[in-house]
Amino acid sequence: MISIKKPIYIFAFSALLFGSCRTKYALTKSNREEYKISSDIAVDSNIIKTYLPYKAKLDAEMNEVIGNTDVVLSKASTLPESVLGNFFADAVFNQVKKLLPQVDFVFPTTKGGLRNDIAKGEIKVSNIFELMPFENQLVMFNLKGSDVLKVVNYIAASNGQPVSGLRFNIKDKHAENIQINGKAFDVNVNYWVVASDYIASGGDDATGFATPISQKNIGLLVRDALLKEVKEFKAAGKSINTKLDGRITKN
Amino acid sequence: MEELQKINRRNFIKVGGVASAAAALNINSLDAFANGRLQKLTILHTNDVHSRIEPFPMDGSRNQGLGGTARRSALIKKIRAEQENVLLLDAGDIFQGTPYFNKYGGELELKLMSQMKYDATTLGNHDFDNGIEGFYKQLPNANFPVLIANYDLTNTQLSKSTQPYKIFKKGGLKIGVFGLGIQLKGLVDPKNYGETQYLDPIAIANETAAKLKNDYKCDLVICLSHLGYAYRNNAVSDKVLAASTKNIDLIIGGHTHTFLDIPEDVKNLDGQITTINQVGFAGINLGRIDYYFEPYKAKKMKVGTPYLINNKLDA
Repeated sequence: MISIKKPIYIFAFSALLFGSCRTKYALTKSNREEYKISSDIAVDSNIIKTYLPYKAKLDAEMNEVIGNTDVVLSKASTLPESVLGNFFADAVFNQVKKLLPQVDFVFPTTKGGLRNDIAKGEIKVSNIFELMPFENQLVMFNLKGSDVLKVVNYIAASNGQPVSGLRFNIKDKHAENIQINGKAFDVNVNYWVVASDYIASGGDDATGFATPISQKNIGLLVRDALLKEVKEFKAAGKSINTKLDGRITKN
Repeated sequence: MEELQKINRRNFIKVGGVASAAAALNINSLDAFANGRLQKLTILHTNDVHSRIEPFPMDGSRNQGLGGTARRSALIKKIRAEQENVLLLDAGDIFQGTPYFNKYGGELELKLMSQMKYDATTLGNHDFDNGIEGFYKQLPNANFPVLIANYDLTNTQLSKSTQPYKIFKKGGLKIGVFGLGIQLKGLVDPKNYGETQYLDPIAIANETAAKLKNDYKCDLVICLSHLGYAYRNNAVSDKVLAASTKNIDLIIGGHTHTFLDIPEDVKNLDGQITTINQVGFAGINLGRIDYYFEPYKAKKMKVGTPYLINNKLDA
């Protein structure tokens, strides 16, 4: 009995006090403003204190000079290939071949994935992060010749993409005279192709990777492949000197 | 809606013929203010900060010198010193965008947000960039809740790490805040979101907002949305959400990095105002909305009485 009476009593008591269970509020006015976070605003030094150790470590790492380039690595190009695209794809191909010598060609990024040019001269870690800020992985595919043709025709239809180990001509948005790893393409042969996980899952509408014979994550980030390549050039006393080489033409 | 927008340009909203009620209210509010019963709530908000710890570098780019956590924190502290009831909210995509994320995995972003005393955030698509595990690993650095109502995370590592909504009590006011995320399929690598199930944001929003407003009697309902402001196709966006729901007073948006000149007031399913705001990205801006409330006795004032809107703060 008590368990029933008690809540009624409390309710009656609170009703007596407030007229209802709690005060109700009505919205009567709204004022809106936006602040631009510019140098006009002072800084909170406690925040800087928090991030300074992170910044110091990061800056030291990012400012490390890891190589040199004799040419501007630029994505700007009137051709279906670009110096930056060729550098990127060749770097990944070189690094991948060390792990998996059977690889026939690589398609490690789309043109849109080339995020920043690299100026002539010293290459710092930060340059590579700006070029490739994303955490994409490299994936190796065993593809049927017919799927390889889809990949190559996608590259042709989009007026060229960064590739290495692959050469062809674009004619009416289709690929012709396809050469893979130095040999003429054969639609009846299976090929080993490395792409980023982004491309492989259809990013930028790329096609051909949906039904592979097999696929395997290499365990190498795209960016790490680029960093390794630049460092190896330096270790060998060489500078990057990428050129346009007619790997993809349009006639 | 067109009319709403047009009137909004004059910084004033009237709904139907009840403008006189608003005027009357304004007079009442003087009494309420004198009695110390008028309540003011200040909402501060960010979205898509994308690991922008420091201001943009002075490299000639469009946003050079803008943003930065140290300035944002100083500004927030100043506002908190002036205002009694402040909620600091974020609409997701805390992660990715500078090497701070690549190197530290989001640890610093969350630590700084904790230091600034954020009250809540939601999940953006880029917050999955190091996978469910990568987000989970950094959560000990966040001493604020992650609100997400339309992702079913039951079968993931995050099953106990998020909540659909939270009710905040500030100066006698109850504020219900819930979160909505974008469809991850096609946007995020499937291995990064794993078993996360995306649920219809409109249905979930209506359900959650009704619960907050009607069952929990919240005085204000806020949605932290990472759906995006608007799309050319009919993909669900904040504009679609606002027009297809009721009981939401404010949508703090993100994802599309939209710089709105002023917040947008949309007529919702109830004919009431649902405000959408989004403040660009990278912490270039801090949004602020002050809401004023006055107490009333039950049934004297109907739900959704029109209220005054100014696109400036009171002097």
